[in-house]
Amino acid sequence: MMRGCDFLHLKFMRGEGIARIFLIAVLCLLMTLLISCSRGRERVFRKSKILMDTIVTISVAAESEDKAEKAIESGFAEIDRLDRMLSFFSESSELSRINRNAGVAPVSVSPETLEVMQRALYTSAKTGGAFDVTIGPESSQWDFYKKKKPDDDVIRERLSLVDYRQIQINGIKSTIFLPKKGMLADLGGIAKGYAADRAVEEMKRRGIRAGLVAVAGDIRAFGRKPGGSGWKVGIRNPRAKGKDDEIMATMELDDMAISTSGDYERYFIVDGERYHHILDPKTGYPARGCRSVTVVARDGVNTDSFSTGVFVLGPEKGLGVLKEMGFDGVIVDSDGGIETTPGLRNRIEFQRHS
Amino acid sequence: MALLLASLLSLIFVKEVLPHASEVSIEVEGKVLYRYPLDGNRLVAVRSRYGHLVVEIRDKKVRVIDASCPNRLCEEEGWVSRGAIICIPNRISVLVGSPGKGDRTVDAITG
Repeated sequence: MMRGCDFLHLKFMRGEGIARIFLIAVLCLLMTLLISCSRGRERVFRKSKILMDTIVTISVAAESEDKAEKAIESGFAEIDRLDRMLSFFSESSELSRINRNAGVAPVSVSPETLEVMQRALYTSAKTGGAFDVTIGPESSQWDFYKKKKPDDDVIRERLSLVDYRQIQINGIKSTIFLPKKGMLADLGGIAKGYAADRAVEEMKRRGIRAGLVAVAGDIRAFGRKPGGSGWKVGIRNPRAKGKDDEIMATMELDDMAISTSGDYERYFIVDGERYHHILDPKTGYPARGCRSVTVVARDGVNTDSFSTGVFVLGPEKGLGVLKEMGFDGVIVDSDGGIETTPGLRNRIEFQRHS
Repeated sequence: MALLLASLLSLIFVKEVLPHASEVSIEVEGKVLYRYPLDGNRLVAVRSRYGHLVVEIRDKKVRVIDASCPNRLCEEEGWVSRGAIICIPNRISVLVGSPGKGDRTVDAITG
């Protein structure tokens, strides 16, 4: 091999046209062989499961179904484990213990719960309180199935219980305390993104090179698909009329996470007014200003929480926060106008609908 | 609701194979229990530990009726010719493969 190389090298250096072309051709062939050999015969395997009260779909690139299955199951197991700690609706979760002990005593929590709460407070601080996990007393009053809106005085009364700045976290003792009786923490706006991150870490530990974890619409991708393309993600059209126009834009994720908050996920319309589930912590009413916000960043814990915070802030302030954080995103405002951060402009492809 | 239902454009089992064109696949608690061609009309009563529903296949479309879940979002989805109808409380999923256009234009949907 060495001699062959030297020979070609000599010819190359002497500028002989044919040798140059030949060398380049051999190099190309070698590259192709190397790439396809190192990937083995990888294929994409995909599996879904209902966890965290939603559909979780995990895709992995693997050489065997056995390896894929084991890795995917480890991802599901991690998400399930986190759900048991962070679920608002499960009585045995650490979150529920924290809520039951509001105004009573600090509660010992696992490192994961502590971490989620710390990340939540970080997002709260960066969005000026537009994202606030203590929204529980307000959000629990809305019923989107029965299409019931709480009375205005109920909304007003409970506002004083919504204040992330009052959450007391003790990092040394690993405890969390809600100081006022009636305070309720709801991690619904951050837990899915966090779970997606952790599931990805689990699968990487199992030797998976590339994959995608989608906890409903909170998605975290890593590596590239066999064949070299990135994981392709569609962004939902907030006013889709059917299956044909359901996707507004697509983009490829390169080791990034993406989340979307929208006014169409849970809502009802009364007297021509849309009441949706993303409440403004300052007023207790659904935030106006945006139809949907999509955030792209390295971690799901950020894309999840910031998509909610930016939504509440509205297009102008929201874009400012994205810029400050170095995140990318797409905002569809209340009139349907679309704004994209500069970093996405060449990476996102908007679909044209007739 | 829509995000949950439409975000699943692929299979719920570990195979690389897509649902065959024109195939309806019904899963109960994570396992595929029924598979029918999209052609041909039929009613399938599906039961899980959590409840029941009926899947109707007619004129190359599928819908869920008679669901025992409290919110009946699966019923509200109406007729679908591709994609999925998921009844989360009952842990029952109905997947419809489709020919042509391509189910796999995206790997996932956010929103």
